Order: sequence, then C-alpha cells, then structure tokens
Amino acid sequence: MNGVSEKKKSATFASLLLWIYSCFTVFVLGYLVYNSLRQKGDLLSNTFGLPKSLGFGTYLKMFTEQKFHHYFLNSAFILVATLVLIVLLASMVAYALGRYKFKFKNAVQMYFLLGLMFPASLGVLPLFLLMKDLSLLNSYASVILVMSAGISMPVLLLTDFFAKMPGEIYESAILDGASEWKTFYRIMFPLASPVVFSICIVMSVQIWNQFFMPLIFLQDDQHKTVPLIVMKYTSNLMLSMDKALTASVIATVPILILFMIFSEKILDGVASGGVKG
Amino acid sequence: MSFIKKRPYLLFLLPGFLIYSLFVVYPIVAAGSISFFRWNGIGPKTFIGFDNYVELFTSTELMSQFWNAMLNSLRIFALTVLVVIPVQIIAAYLIHNQVKGYKYFRVAVFSPQFISTPVIVFIFTLLLDSNVGVFNKVLEMVGLGEYVRPWLGLPQYGIYIVWLMISWSGFGVGMIFFLGAMKMISKESLEAGYLDGAGFWKRLFVIILPQMKVTILNMVLITYIVSMTIFDFSFILGGVSGGVDHNVDVMALMFYRIAFGESNNPLGGNISENAMGLGSTVACVLFVLIFVISMFQVWLTYRRREEA
Repeated sequence: MNGVSEKKKSATFASLLLWIYSCFTVFVLGYLVYNSLRQKGDLLSNTFGLPKSLGFGTYLKMFTEQKFHHYFLNSAFILVATLVLIVLLASMVAYALGRYKFKFKNAVQMYFLLGLMFPASLGVLPLFLLMKDLSLLNSYASVILVMSAGISMPVLLLTDFFAKMPGEIYESAILDGASEWKTFYRIMFPLASPVVFSICIVMSVQIWNQFFMPLIFLQDDQHKTVPLIVMKYTSNLMLSMDKALTASVIATVPILILFMIFSEKILDGVASGGVKG
Repeated sequence: MSFIKKRPYLLFLLPGFLIYSLFVVYPIVAAGSISFFRWNGIGPKTFIGFDNYVELFTSTELMSQFWNAMLNSLRIFALTVLVVIPVQIIAAYLIHNQVKGYKYFRVAVFSPQFISTPVIVFIFTLLLDSNVGVFNKVLEMVGLGEYVRPWLGLPQYGIYIVWLMISWSGFGVGMIFFLGAMKMISKESLEAGYLDGAGFWKRLFVIILPQMKVTILNMVLITYIVSMTIFDFSFILGGVSGGVDHNVDVMALMFYRIAFGESNNPLGGNISENAMGLGSTVACVLFVLIFVISMFQVWLTYRRREEA
C-alpha cells in the first residue's frame, strides 16, 4: 500500500507535464475550429473580441469555389496507391528473405537496409531528372513511385516475421500442391496481417503529411496534395485568413476523429513497429 | 524456366529490387557522380573533379551559409536530445504506470502527429504573431505586458521556434516508441526492484533505463538524421532563404536552395549555372555526415551485444 501512495505523490507532479501538453493541444484545436467559423474581417480586426457572427460560410466556399475535396481526393489516391505498393513489394521481398535460404542472402538483406540510412530527400536531384526523362513530372505516379520505393523499414519488420514462422506451415501447403506464389498470398501473407497493419499505420502518417516530394514533383495546382494547398492559403494571411483556418480544420479534424476512434489499435501498432525500427 | 523454378525467391525479390534500386539507391549513386561535374541539369556537363567540393569549402559565402545551417541543425539535435527525449521517457513511464487519465494522455499526446506541417506552422503563427498572436495577449492579461514581442519577427528566436514546433508535433511518436520498449521489459526484474524497496523514480533509473539503452541510442540516431534532413518547418516559416539572414536555415533547406534556386519554384527562375553539380555536392556532404554517425551507432550496438 505504501508503494501506491508514494507512486501517486511523485507521479502527480510529473503528470502536470502531460496535462499542460494535452491541454495545449486541445486548446489549439478548439481555437482553430472556433475561428474557422468567423468571418475574415472580424478575424483580422477584432481577433480577441466577441465574434460578430458564427457560421459555416467559409466551409461552403471551400468546397464550391476552392474545390478543396479535389485535393483531398488527390491525397487519398496517393496514399492508397502508395500503401498498396509498399505492402506488396515489401512483403514479397521479406518473404523471399525470411522463407528461403540462398547464396548472398545476407548481402541482399543489407542492401535493402541501406535505405534506412539514405534519406530520400538527398537523392532528389537525380530523381527529378529521372522523372523528367520518364515524363512523370506533375503526375501522381512520380510521388507514388518515389514513396513506395522506401521499403527498408517494412522489409526489416516483415523479414523478421516470416523468418520466425514455423516451416511446417509452408511445407504442408507445398505438399497440398499449392504453388510457391499461392502459398505466399493465400497462407503466409494473411498470417502477417498484424505486422502489415502496424506498417500501414506508420506509413500512412508519413505519406499523408509528406511535404517535400509533392513539393518537388507536383507543381501544377491540379495535382497538389492537401499539405501543399493548405500552404497556399497560409502563406498570405491578410488575403486568406479565413480560408487558411477552414482548410486547416478540414485537413486536420476528420483525421483526428478517425484516430480517436481507432486509437487503441493504432497506438499498439505504432509501439510494436517502433521497438524494432 | 527450371532455373527460376529452383530459385522461387528470385521472383519474389524482383519487383521490390527493381523499384528500390531505381528510386532509392540509384539517386544516391547518381548524386555522387553528378557532384564531380559542372552542370545545371540541361546544358553542357563538364567534368571538374573535386572542384565543387573545393568551392563549397572555400567560398566564404557558401561556407557561412553551411556553418549557419549546420549550427541550426545541431541546435535542433542537441535541444531534442537534452530536453525532448528525457521528457518523452518520463511521460512514457507515467503512462506505463497507468497514472490517472493515461488513456486520454496517450491519445492527446499522439494527436499532433496527424497534423500536417503547414497547419502546425500556421497554428504557431496564430499563437506568436505580433498582431493576432494569442501568446502576447496572454502575457498582457497576466500583467507581463512588458515581455510582449513580435516573436516571429525576431531572428534570434527563429530556430528555437522551429524546434518548438518540431518537438510539439513529434513528441508523441517518440513517447510511444519508449512506451513500447518499456512494455518489453520483463515483469520479474520490475518486481524484484519493487521488493527491494526501490521507489517510483529509482525503478525508472536503476531498472528500466539500463534495459532501454538500445532504444534510446536508436532514438538519438533518428533525431540526428531528422535534424540533418528536416526541411518543411524552416521552408514554410522562412521561405527558400530560410528567413531573415537565414535565421531558420537548416542543412536540407540549404541543399534545396542551392539545387533549385532562390525562386519558390523548383527549376524555374534564377537558377545558377551549376545548380545540379553544387546541389549534389551538398547532398553528398550531408550523406557522408549521416553515414559516418550511423556506422558509429551500428558499431556501438554490436560492441554492446558482444559484451553482453
């Protein structure tokens, strides 16, 4: 019992830190939402006064005039395509490395790990030239390809998983007459789904918020992603304070709600992915 | 056909190998080779050996930009390691011990991870701006009006504001990683400490931290790589030039500026005649800086394993 009360005392003080941090976060988000309901003139000249009126006017404008949903779809499409490619490529490579024994396996494994030390942004000049030669500038494919090539972390996690799987599962499938490919995608891959899930979570956040690659490869407004379009509004606040606020809320709140609904699963996924990575 | 039949792994490796080689490995190798040329990406390409490296390290202008950006990156790194990581560990420890409201904390602390960088920079503008900033208003309200400053306009604070933004948004991920590492520690060793009468904090320092060394080292390395390659915050806050007198400039932004020019539009506007060559040179120097430290880290980890 003594331990419990002692834990309470020392922990309460340190908890203050968590309180401050999370109150700040909640305040900031609330402040964004509240101000997004106000009008531009009111915002700029009467920032801390009582609002003249509250309403969803700017939201309406964002979807009619500004076609914000278009950029949302851009981001969503890039996200889904990249995730599918990463999972497909990484699980196949990992399966080869985890399941089979062959010459130079260690070297191949090292080769795929190099990416952990190669920040993709440093290779962006040759990538830019490469995309230009492939005429892929200003296409979704450029960003999708570059981001889905970053398979080092998923390969590392999945190789570990496949290597630890008992060999009997594989052998009995082969004995049943299943081909190598069928064994992989019918039996082995579904077994890896918890690992795949945690990879998807970590990668989704990175892909959704990716700023650098879309900035370089998607220069026409048509193809821009949500972060880039938000920056268009926030870069001139005198002109578009209201739109900047509304765009920020639209870009942030739905995703946070999704996160809160699935937070238990997501946080566990991140934690199990992080221990290895 | 039978060659492949005997080696089914080749087909599994092939697609990943091709994409990964073309879009991850090749660009780094190509950057290495381009750094020996004088080239703007379109015009004639002249081999000049190590001249780009010589130029980078002897030109006063480039060197002053380089050291300024380097210093800023190192400031972010040092502050994160000295302040953020210890706080993340303490926060993880509290949540691990299920302090009151820990479920709520877990969610609240991780949330900023889902907010994209332009929104984060915008939020800090709303807080710190000289006209509409909440922070100054709060200072006035609590009677500290004399400390009101145009926070975003003062060059000496710029890089610390960038650091604040990075810390706020990245705090949750690191904390969750530490939390994951704590969960891996065996119950027995914790209970033994409990029976020995080790207090709440003593258990953290004596039992948990020593078992988390590898995770902590990994986080320090990740922090280093991030501070060398972080780009968004400085770019959005200070533009291509990295603010007034490059006050929020960091290594990756300097690389971008040399490679893509001062204009906001990549490969448009006033691009120098050696943008590709010199840009690649900066990228290679950065790459070496990351590679050396990573190798040192790998060596440290392996040595530790052999000892144990």
